[in-house]
Amino acid sequence: MRTHVSALFAVVLAFFLLPLPTQAAEGDETLDIVGHAADGYYLAFEPFAKVELPRILLEENAQGNLTVGVYGTTAGALRSGNYNLIVEENGTPKTLTTPSEIDGAIESGKHLYGSLAPKQGSIVLDFSFTRHLVYGLLAMLVTALIFIRLAQRYKRGIGREEAPRGVFQNLFEAMIVFVRDEVAKPTIGAKYERFLPYLLTAFFFILFANLFGLVPYGAAATSNLAITGMLALFTFVIGQVYGSKEHFKHLLLGPEGVPWWVRPILVPVEILGLFTRHLALAIRLFANMLAGALVIFSLLGLIFIVNVVFGASVAYGASIPSVALTVFILLVKLLVAFIQAYVFTMLSALFIGMAVEEHHEDEPAPEDLDDGRGELTPEFGGDGTALEQRTRPQTPEPVAS
Amino acid sequence: MYAPTLAAGLLEPASGLIVWKILAFGILLYILYKYAWGPITESLKEREKQIDSSIRRAEKALAEAKEIQKQNQADRREAERKAQEILRDARESAEALREEELEKTRKKIRQMQEQAQAEIEREKQGALQELRDEVADLAIDAAEKILREDIDSKRQRELVDDFIGELPANRN
Repeated sequence: MRTHVSALFAVVLAFFLLPLPTQAAEGDETLDIVGHAADGYYLAFEPFAKVELPRILLEENAQGNLTVGVYGTTAGALRSGNYNLIVEENGTPKTLTTPSEIDGAIESGKHLYGSLAPKQGSIVLDFSFTRHLVYGLLAMLVTALIFIRLAQRYKRGIGREEAPRGVFQNLFEAMIVFVRDEVAKPTIGAKYERFLPYLLTAFFFILFANLFGLVPYGAAATSNLAITGMLALFTFVIGQVYGSKEHFKHLLLGPEGVPWWVRPILVPVEILGLFTRHLALAIRLFANMLAGALVIFSLLGLIFIVNVVFGASVAYGASIPSVALTVFILLVKLLVAFIQAYVFTMLSALFIGMAVEEHHEDEPAPEDLDDGRGELTPEFGGDGTALEQRTRPQTPEPVAS
Repeated sequence: MYAPTLAAGLLEPASGLIVWKILAFGILLYILYKYAWGPITESLKEREKQIDSSIRRAEKALAEAKEIQKQNQADRREAERKAQEILRDARESAEALREEELEKTRKKIRQMQEQAQAEIEREKQGALQELRDEVADLAIDAAEKILREDIDSKRQRELVDDFIGELPANRN
């Protein structure tokens, strides 16, 4: 079923991309692969429409006061006459200032690939809506709707007193239980419950954001460094806010039992490691999701390269392996969507677990904790204190990124 | 502020976007924390607890049933043993009773025999006495008849007394 959908998607994608090189041949317009994969101030529904998104700009005017400029579209902002447009032409930036120049750029659609520069003052922060923000919000909306509905089911008692019913509930319950039992519990240990909501939210948001990248016209919000950086920042902040005394001691004084003269070397390494870990977390997800999109564009782009180099008939032949490879990459992307959501959640849990872990030197060995209540579900074997003792934090070494 | 459109554009995190996303993700986290994860994870935990306790209860009940079965078996064996014992006792006491009855009967018979013998002896003595008297009277009568015919009665008496004296004092 999935194969069919992906194959269909590949064909549809190829179909919509096909007219572009013809345009490229006719005019001077080029197919901007990076422009498609990157964020933009518009939603691309070519060849039907290109929906420009609102621009919200926090500016500092000539007098040094902060003002906010809100425009419905990029074209609208330019037509207001408050901005110059900077576009790239032959590898060098070129500033368009006159209304006629700007109108020409709007006409050719170039304005969406340029950047705005106020005629007076400067932009402090660009709060404009972008494609990735829109699809990210959409992923959030989907996440919220699905899980609030799911929660209502549980509230009604389905899945609480009786067995869960239906694909919807069983599907997501399996994933929730997976995140809880395979990700949160083994890496964080006894305190996992406090961090489970974050891990679940991150997992499902990333998953849905990734899956939006597979939908025609959609984009993966996670292929944006700002969004993955935001997620990594959450992991970082949560880890540091709930960090244990031992964590900070380890961070600022170096590991225990190390000669004093090694500490000046180890402490910067530890601190650097803390930041690079989270940076790598952001970049890993971003790069994986972006790479998928770029590979697909590149594979389809092969057809057009072959068209230019060898002619149209060869290009038709080349389209067969090209599309087949694209389908394969799409399937890989589907897999990667899940894997990356898992990897991010797993590593987040690991980093949080490392930060909140408390060392107990006189901790009894696990076999001493056997209360003879059997191997059923250890944490329910009695008054609930068993969990505290049984689930020992097992923190593996951080995975090299 | 110039943002190049090619590769560099991909790697430059847009600060405005980060602000939006932090805000949105924070809200999402809060909403889901409040309205979704709480009830879901609680329900899952509750259900797991319920299943766990059900299994535990079932196992306990099974163990109890086995214990009861064992107890019952032991009880039955005990009861059988007791029944056997009672039966044996009953048989023994019946045997003893029969023996006793028999002995009593024998004793009674012996007693009756002895009584009968004593009676017979007494009767015999009576009869002998009677016979002696009868014989004496008969002898006297006979002697009288003889004397009346031969000798006087004085000679007759002597003869009779001699005769009686010759008779053994007590003969069986």
